[in-house]
Amino acid sequence: MGAELGMITLDDVYYRYEPDGIDALCGITLKIKAGEHLALIGPNGCGKTTLIQHLDALLLPSRGAVTIDGLDTRDAAQEVAVRSLVGMVFQNPESQIVGMTVEEDVAFGPENLCLPSAEIRQRVEEALAKVGIAALAKRNIEHLSGGEKRMVAIAGVLAMQPRYIAFDEPTAFLDPAASARILEIIDRLNAENIGIIHITHNMAEAAQASRIVVLNRGRLCLDGTPPEIFSRVEQLRKIGMQLPQITEMMFQLQSQGFPVRTDIVRLEDAIAQIQSWAQSR
Amino acid sequence: MYHTGTYLSADSPLHRLDPRIKLAGVVGLSIIILMLGALPLLFVCLALLALICQSGIKMRTIGQALQPLLFFIVLIFLVHTFLAKGENLPGTSGLALSFSWGGLQEGVFVSLRFVCLVVAAVLLTLTTPPSQMIAALKFFLQPLKKLRLPVDNMIFMIMLALRLLPVLLGEKERIETARKARGYNIRQLGYSARIKTFLTFVTRILWNVFQRADELSAAMIARNYQAGPRTSFVTLKPIDAKFIILLALIFCLVFFVALISFFG
Repeated sequence: MGAELGMITLDDVYYRYEPDGIDALCGITLKIKAGEHLALIGPNGCGKTTLIQHLDALLLPSRGAVTIDGLDTRDAAQEVAVRSLVGMVFQNPESQIVGMTVEEDVAFGPENLCLPSAEIRQRVEEALAKVGIAALAKRNIEHLSGGEKRMVAIAGVLAMQPRYIAFDEPTAFLDPAASARILEIIDRLNAENIGIIHITHNMAEAAQASRIVVLNRGRLCLDGTPPEIFSRVEQLRKIGMQLPQITEMMFQLQSQGFPVRTDIVRLEDAIAQIQSWAQSR
Repeated sequence: MYHTGTYLSADSPLHRLDPRIKLAGVVGLSIIILMLGALPLLFVCLALLALICQSGIKMRTIGQALQPLLFFIVLIFLVHTFLAKGENLPGTSGLALSFSWGGLQEGVFVSLRFVCLVVAAVLLTLTTPPSQMIAALKFFLQPLKKLRLPVDNMIFMIMLALRLLPVLLGEKERIETARKARGYNIRQLGYSARIKTFLTFVTRILWNVFQRADELSAAMIARNYQAGPRTSFVTLKPIDAKFIILLALIFCLVFFVALISFFG
């Protein structure tokens, strides 16, 4: 598999944190197209975070290769280009915010790219507007709520105008309203053809993606659309994963003799199924 | 979590003032405060009060910023009160330490001087966003580049230190809360146990902060940080007549006070 443009490729990637330790990633081969919305799920410690850190050249494969739009992450000369292509929203916004005020932090990336002041300012304004926190521009980071801090972290990545963004559990510790806002932003970015790699433990969130990849113990164990993945109930349960509530409900209904389909991950589809069954009676 | 003394966004003439003037002003004012005698110092106090009022900052905020320094203020007061020479006040001649009217004046004067210095610095940090402060600092340090000093990296280090200070305080509060939640009470412990728990406390904080620093550095690298020159989105106003006049005024004032205090 050669380097390909317009997509991220992982070619038989192995990674070890310690030379004599276990493989945190073993033989991951994966292609992520630009504009795709991919959810990465799996139990704790299965290698999800390790995997996305490879996309940004924060970690380099012990074996195998990672290329971003044809650029090999092991090539030190391409580091800046790779990190401009792939943005990374870390799990904890507290430890990725560098600036003291919102606009200062969002400007951090473009400042590192040595862009002229006027362009940085424009990018900061655009990024803040995109996540809907333009009003917070001058605020001190310490005065923000957890959800707002997460928005700042996302804006900071957007200001670098990446083609792909990796989110590491973007809705962890957030209240439902803030979670919904983050997911809505992710959808909007995806609609603008930004590739999304989205780590989550929330199956309902994963069900919104166009594709799901399941990792277990550093290996790629399932790869497919949400209905495909969530029909592999036994396999998912074996590695400690659950179904989205909607799918779970359809399975329970079916097991009690209701003639409904089980490859359903969205609330709307479930309602349609139940309605059509009710009307057929 | 907000930590006292850091930037509070608002709109006032002091907030809008060129950060370079503010920085130079605070440095100049500090020199003046250190040279002035007791009576003129009262004028500085009044000037600072006027500045606080017009910047719209609440007295409570200033008080909160001074609170952690209360111990030092009291210590400075006591040391100067008791160590200054002078005629003992009536009724205190039998005491081991001298306690004189002159000493009392000296104590008030020196601690007031300290308070003035702190308030001037706090006014600067409260009304100037760190990015502007950094830009101002960069402006004044630029000539050092000719001496091949890594000015860009130095300034970035100062910026990160400013950023990590609240992180350090937050970490301390978190650990304290976690301990309290588990029924920890330092007052019930003996002195050796207190010292021991203090050491584990400090180790824990350092451990956590190093971990945070690790995460922060990964996040910085991910956003393409590399040591060396960076640009800034802060554009300082071009140097105009007003700027030069204000800077000259600060310089003249310092010079004038120096002259008076040396020869007056």
